[in-house]
Amino acid sequence: MFAPDVPVTGRFERALREDGLIAVGTSHGSMSAFSVEQYDVSARSIAAAVTSKERRAQFVPCQPKSETEFDKACASKFVQQYGGQLFRRPLTVQERDRFVTIAGAAQQKLGGFYKGLEFALIGMLDSPQFLLRMDRSEPDPAHPGAVRLDGWSKAVRLSYFLTNSTPDAELLRAAATGELHSEQGLARQVERLLASPRVEMAVRAFFWDMLQFDGFNDLFKDPSIYPGYTVAAAADAQEQTLRTVVSHLVQENGDYRDLFTTRKTWVSRPLGILYRMPVGTRNGWEQAEYPASSARAGILTDVSMLALHSHPGRSSPTLRGKFMREIFLCQRVPDPPANVNFSVVQDAVNRPGSTARLRLAEHNDNPVCAGCHKLTDPLGLTLENFDGAGGFRAKENGVSMDLSGALDGEDFVGPQGLGQALQDNPGVPACLVEKMYRSAIGRDIAGPEEPVLEYLVGRFESSRFRLPQLMRAIALSKSFYAVQNQTGLVLQKTVAVAKKGDRS
Amino acid sequence: MKLADFKVVKTPVLALKAGAAGAAIIVAASLYLDHSAAAARTEPASADARQASGAPLPVADTANIFSDGQAGFVVSKIAYALGPDEKTACPRGMTGGVRGLIEAYSRTPAGKMREGEPLNAYERRLSESVHTAADGRNLCMFPAAGGPDPGWQMVQGKGLKVEGIDLDGSGAGKKAGGATCSHEEFQGTNGERGVDNQFYRVVGCTTGFQPTGQANSYETEMLTGSWGILVTVRGVDDPRNDPEIEVGFYANADPIQLSASRVPLSHATYTADGNPRYQAIARGRIVDGVLTTEPVDVRFHNVVNSMNQDRELRSARVRMTFTPDGGMEGILAGYTPVESMYDLQFGVRNSKNAKGELAPERLRLGTSMGRAGALGYSCHGAYHAMLQAADGHKDPATGRCTSLSTQYRIRMAPAFVVHGSSRSTNSSLITG
Amino acid sequence: MSQLDRRSMLRGIMNGAAVAMALPLLDVFLDVNGEALAATGQRIPIRFGTWVWGCGFVPERWIPTSEGSDYVMPADLEPLAAYRKQMAILSGFDVKLDGVANKPHVTGTLGLRTGVPVPNETVRAPTIDVLMGEVMGQGTRFRSIELSASGIERSYSFRGAGSPNPSETSPLALYKRIFGEGFQDPNAEVFAPDPEVMVRKSVLSAVSDDRQRLMKTLGSSDRQRMDEYFTAVRQLEQRLELQLQPPAKVENFTVPKAPGKTVVDAEIGNVMENHKIMAGLLAQALACNQTRVFNMLFSDTASNLRRSASSDTHHTLTHEEPVNPTLGYQEQSAWFAAQSMVACRDFVDALAGIKEGSGTLLDNTLLFAHSDCSIAKAHAVEGIPMMVIGGAGGRVRTGFHKAGRADSAARVGLSIQQAMGVQVEKWGAGSMDTNRTLTELVA
Repeated sequence: MFAPDVPVTGRFERALREDGLIAVGTSHGSMSAFSVEQYDVSARSIAAAVTSKERRAQFVPCQPKSETEFDKACASKFVQQYGGQLFRRPLTVQERDRFVTIAGAAQQKLGGFYKGLEFALIGMLDSPQFLLRMDRSEPDPAHPGAVRLDGWSKAVRLSYFLTNSTPDAELLRAAATGELHSEQGLARQVERLLASPRVEMAVRAFFWDMLQFDGFNDLFKDPSIYPGYTVAAAADAQEQTLRTVVSHLVQENGDYRDLFTTRKTWVSRPLGILYRMPVGTRNGWEQAEYPASSARAGILTDVSMLALHSHPGRSSPTLRGKFMREIFLCQRVPDPPANVNFSVVQDAVNRPGSTARLRLAEHNDNPVCAGCHKLTDPLGLTLENFDGAGGFRAKENGVSMDLSGALDGEDFVGPQGLGQALQDNPGVPACLVEKMYRSAIGRDIAGPEEPVLEYLVGRFESSRFRLPQLMRAIALSKSFYAVQNQTGLVLQKTVAVAKKGDRS
Repeated sequence: MKLADFKVVKTPVLALKAGAAGAAIIVAASLYLDHSAAAARTEPASADARQASGAPLPVADTANIFSDGQAGFVVSKIAYALGPDEKTACPRGMTGGVRGLIEAYSRTPAGKMREGEPLNAYERRLSESVHTAADGRNLCMFPAAGGPDPGWQMVQGKGLKVEGIDLDGSGAGKKAGGATCSHEEFQGTNGERGVDNQFYRVVGCTTGFQPTGQANSYETEMLTGSWGILVTVRGVDDPRNDPEIEVGFYANADPIQLSASRVPLSHATYTADGNPRYQAIARGRIVDGVLTTEPVDVRFHNVVNSMNQDRELRSARVRMTFTPDGGMEGILAGYTPVESMYDLQFGVRNSKNAKGELAPERLRLGTSMGRAGALGYSCHGAYHAMLQAADGHKDPATGRCTSLSTQYRIRMAPAFVVHGSSRSTNSSLITG
Repeated sequence: MSQLDRRSMLRGIMNGAAVAMALPLLDVFLDVNGEALAATGQRIPIRFGTWVWGCGFVPERWIPTSEGSDYVMPADLEPLAAYRKQMAILSGFDVKLDGVANKPHVTGTLGLRTGVPVPNETVRAPTIDVLMGEVMGQGTRFRSIELSASGIERSYSFRGAGSPNPSETSPLALYKRIFGEGFQDPNAEVFAPDPEVMVRKSVLSAVSDDRQRLMKTLGSSDRQRMDEYFTAVRQLEQRLELQLQPPAKVENFTVPKAPGKTVVDAEIGNVMENHKIMAGLLAQALACNQTRVFNMLFSDTASNLRRSASSDTHHTLTHEEPVNPTLGYQEQSAWFAAQSMVACRDFVDALAGIKEGSGTLLDNTLLFAHSDCSIAKAHAVEGIPMMVIGGAGGRVRTGFHKAGRADSAARVGLSIQQAMGVQVEKWGAGSMDTNRTLTELVA
């Protein structure tokens, strides 16, 4: 909202992940004293910067009439302008008066008109109306007796979904005029936002969340086993996949399913070490392709995916299989029971001739384990020619590996077979639709919403799996703006049973 | 591969694609451009690019180091190759160094503590006496102003085995002729004759150059990324035997990449220093897996106490073997001009700061005298001992040799070497 | 007409973006402080200081063999064993040079303290003590006090390139500076509340005005969340309220006696003695709020310490002494390294010896102890030994060993700044640059 050089400092609490998405967990997250303190720290640094001598001409819309007397009119103008943007709606009279009063009192105590504005701005930035998104409803003229979201609440939903940010002035204008309640008005804003470069930020934020890259915060690799997995490589690995996702889905408007097979990717020098690929660019990123002769293709063979779902010192077909089912197929794989004896697996990790497939086979003699491993391992074992840090390996403990696997009855071999199998699997785009919809509405799906998902899957499919088309369909759907306890009204009948346990 | 053929062979560009930021991109390990879009070439190490899908080859297979007959390396370990320690090499004891000179001086009447002289003033006076020439100039800055150090000990032991290369060919029937000066040669550790290592002869009886000493700690700055050495090998048809190959030596323009346990990483990409002074190409051959090269003058960077001083080696050659990790190890040897070796390893007369200006005198003096104390020599003693032992590059005018045979033991890790002129990640930190 | 839907969604504005990081604690801090404050109604300031010793350590005698809280106390840290719970041992964090030439003893020290490696003394950013001083050093007589125990007037406290803040080297001069002319009885001080704090508090009250109205419109789960928010705001208000109270009376304070004249030089016996006296005077000065920030240079980074009648200094020994083949390290150099930790204990003793509220001055201090290098003979700046000692008024967690595994040393500097309330999200340059708080240390 302010210039990019206005510093925003402060740390925020670790987000709560719920059913695979932080976007959903957020609606149940709590506000601790710590985070409020951090917001206050940010608020003060932002407000000081905005009202500083160097920047006030840029940000303050008027000049005080007097050096000493409080200029209430100018303060009101400032409060209304920024209050409207921060609260994402016009301030009420009481709200405006409250912050103007703060400005006046602060000026009196501390001297200086801009000191007053500074504290009025801090007050707005510390307010729950800014820090929390609150939906407001109003009577729906089209359905007497029912309510609908008001224009500003719609604008907020739309803006966070399509740009991962607060509504811009044009969207607030459309909210104020009621345009967002009309189909054409809404469509015009959706098209405008979809065409803006900020869509990339929204897609990036969504995939960061969906791919659970917050897991890198706790990821550790043994440097004696994986020397190339450095702090820089870990950071760049995430960026590589997000860049690939954004350039493929947004910039090139590509088919979502092709993310699992595309050879196009991005590399930096720290990653070149892990991929054993030269990277000419000394300082930054370059687009590249996994060579046709290599074992890699698709984001499943990116270091980010392979390393995140491995152990500190070895790969894990089980973790890899679990993440693929949960992240890309929206299936839930139960955690192992607490009393499993892993020694069979552990003891053999470095034994000559031992492979993960053999170790897991021993482990799966136990029927308690076999049930879940049947879900995970046939997928994960196909990636076994990548070690726990995502590096390529031809052999494990001196022997070649059997990379055969299966998904939903389809047999395939190796990482490229796996990528192809996911590309071909109808559950993959359906899962993306579900995750994106849940992320957009910021909560779990209510039973009656299943038909909405079916509708969206259909739209996604008919667009040949173009993500912007899916985002458009969601943004234009009535259910996206539904007032929650009325979802049943907004939606059509026929209800597929939502298998809650299958979601992740 | 014949070199004649080699010259016209251009690495094929399999695919080249403009990136979002105007970067040119390569597909497959072949040819690379950087942001400047200047033509670039690369010497790839083994890459999974080379491996057929489904039946990939193990990357550690030495047969697989080369891609299109090329390979790149970064020096990961370097140290002077020196012979046996004082026990066998120094029957007459160790070089006395500054301490020895101070002790000798303090036994003279002028060197006694004066009535009422505070201890630290006396110590300062003693130190000044041995660091100052008769004409008042500092001996580390002007070593020629002093004479030879009577306490200097050259390596004397008989039948010493010393790692290294026969540089002047005398071991196998002298052919270098008038360019070198006669000197006693060492036997190689593998029994070969004629190893030239006059640098060892000069410093082998000095404490800092013993195996426990600190003379080889210059590697530290290489590992912190202040300087580095890249090597490329091109035109290899058969990594076991190839009569004609080309070996490139370059200063590294990028900091070396280390693991979290601070070991140089394999398969990193480095940009060669664009300055032709720091680039050299030699012809070479591989015989039964041993790679050797014809002499070529090489020059690298070196940093001591935050000051830059080139590490120079004239008529340099290598003798390397391939290692299972895809690297090479062996000897880099040649002749270091005495003046250059003095500046590099002893008195810091001409070192530059990061901006390329002559470093502050106080820093140069402090470093020179501090190092003399730490490594156990005197500046002028080192200078004259090197002149005395010089065995290469005879000056026809004086008939005296001007350079010193010098041997380095090195290891290299596989790396990708590229040529380009874009700014490095560290450029903002390095300059200004 | 607008009203909040009963089940409307609340969603943090930072949602989704890459603002993960950060951790839920510091409530502990509030609790601890809140308790102390509720009991006494007094405000106890928090202090920050650095304690620097030169020429690093012998890794096998200093680094615990395991991480976490159950480590075995290594030989050279044994003198500090009594403070085990109040001490975080940080090993294996690197000053990342990115090819910047390493000026021995200086590049490591300043890299650690500014987050930016430099090939000389021309720092690119203020040192961490200066950054801290800007936040917490206001309103005291001295912005900070620099001390050096080995006779060298140097300090590693830089506001900018050029001139370091000079150190006081003599206990007597230190005494005169603090307790001589210009010293006022701390309890006689007239307290004027900070008007800016008053305004901040009134802003938070205004923000809370909406509480009743908002709560009425919310469903129960959202009401709970909104209640958490307002409770948090209330806690913040209470902390500001506290700052409007006069500072706690300094208990049992009497102006210390002037120390006798001592020999100021680098002989280690003299250094230990001067250091102990200066630590005691500094502790008194901290207790009576003459300053809140300090830098103690026990030995210079190229340690000038020497034993009586020996011309070898700790520094020259690190370069000239051969490695003892039986021990595997340089024996005499190791002796100086071990003595440095004894001195560190003396310093911590001085802080812990002053009672303050229900604890000691140490509980309200964050002492950042570090050296200039790890292995001095190689001037290695990888794995420079560091410790965080003291409670910082509950703002840091201690009692553990953390191995950095070649991570950026700037993580430590970032974390302690954040703990002390400096508004900083990322710190350092190049490979040092980090936004990753050390969660073991700072909630």
